[in-house]
Amino acid sequence: MNKETIKYFINPQLNLLLLILGLTFSTLIVAHGIDSTTKSFLLNNTGVSIIPFIYIGAKHMVTGYDHLLFLIGVIFFLYKTRDIIIYVSLFTLGHSFTLLLGVFNDIMVNPYLIDAIIGFSIVYKGFDNLGGFNKLIGFQLNTKIAVLVFGLFHGFGLATKLQGYELNNEGLLSNLIAFNIGVELGQFIALVVVLIALNIWRKFDSYIKFSGLINTLLMAAGMLLIMYQLTGYFLEN
Amino acid sequence: MNNMNPSENKTLPSRHSLLIASITAVVIAFLLYIIIVLPAEYNIDPTGIGKRMGLTALSETVAQEPVHESYDTANQTPIRREDVVMVTVPALKGVEYKFKLEKYANLKYQWKTIDNSKVYFDFHGEPAGDTTGYFESFTIATTNKMLGSAIVPFEGSHGWYWKNNSNQEVIIELKTSGNYQVIGLK
Repeated sequence: MNKETIKYFINPQLNLLLLILGLTFSTLIVAHGIDSTTKSFLLNNTGVSIIPFIYIGAKHMVTGYDHLLFLIGVIFFLYKTRDIIIYVSLFTLGHSFTLLLGVFNDIMVNPYLIDAIIGFSIVYKGFDNLGGFNKLIGFQLNTKIAVLVFGLFHGFGLATKLQGYELNNEGLLSNLIAFNIGVELGQFIALVVVLIALNIWRKFDSYIKFSGLINTLLMAAGMLLIMYQLTGYFLEN
Repeated sequence: MNNMNPSENKTLPSRHSLLIASITAVVIAFLLYIIIVLPAEYNIDPTGIGKRMGLTALSETVAQEPVHESYDTANQTPIRREDVVMVTVPALKGVEYKFKLEKYANLKYQWKTIDNSKVYFDFHGEPAGDTTGYFESFTIATTNKMLGSAIVPFEGSHGWYWKNNSNQEVIIELKTSGNYQVIGLK
């Protein structure tokens, strides 16, 4: 992502496009989830380890293109800092709640299905940004409630990633909170990068000119995620 | 211009262009899905383009595995068998090699790294039919060889996860005997 951002400064007209394309397609090759180094750490870990769990959470968020695409959709038309804080807080509230709830009560949601719903949230946001709901059904769903509800689903997604490993009960609460803090840190880092890029692009007319295209691509990325995850679901069941 | 009311923004598309945008999104997603994602992730290649671009190799690991093909894997009641297999663990990567065993079936095993280097491993079993990712570890250690015999406590896939923390690939020779079916690399 950093590489794309640097390029952006050189050629501002094109590069948010590259950023989003890069995020969408290059990361599809990398397995989403937790890599083998992290896996062996999680398998071995007993007791409280705050910093490693913060790191795993942050890494998951920074490399978790599905969460990021949704966030890009959410902040695409948010110009005021206050609005951005409100929407991101609602998203955070939603996913923190289900992350803790899911892991603690051992609520197992099928990861393929939950990731398909996350894909759907991206399609929803792209469609919403295109003004789709106003034009199709005459009114827009409450975007604050929507971001909160989709936040809940994203949280279950985070929970299933952790539940894939039999976490040791010793120090589980501290580790979970650390993971959650990491998730928020990672989200914050990713948001800063995305916002810098968006804010620079917003100074150019091309931002509005390309907004239709960007949101169309967001929808496409979301649909691709849905198909990808549902295929996994049906192949496994 | 704010998020609550994007229709005020005149540059946003009309109903007609909304339709075009939606169809475009579906077409792009579908093409990428058929041409790239299916071959790369699931080794399903309806167009044949995935194979030509080498994408299917990403999901083909099971097929490439030097499993002894002469054994009748379709046979539902496992017969006693013996296997020797070389498993390559690429530098800084982890691989898993599994066997399907019935409850209380016996698995005799002996493995060693060819160059005597030590690898991290987790010998574990996953219950059959489980989709939650649950598994039970029998042994976790870092060593260059292991020898033993296990009577597995439940039906499912059992085997090793090896993690190579070095910068050079490690080849493991795994000898097994028992009543099982080879699942192979995962």
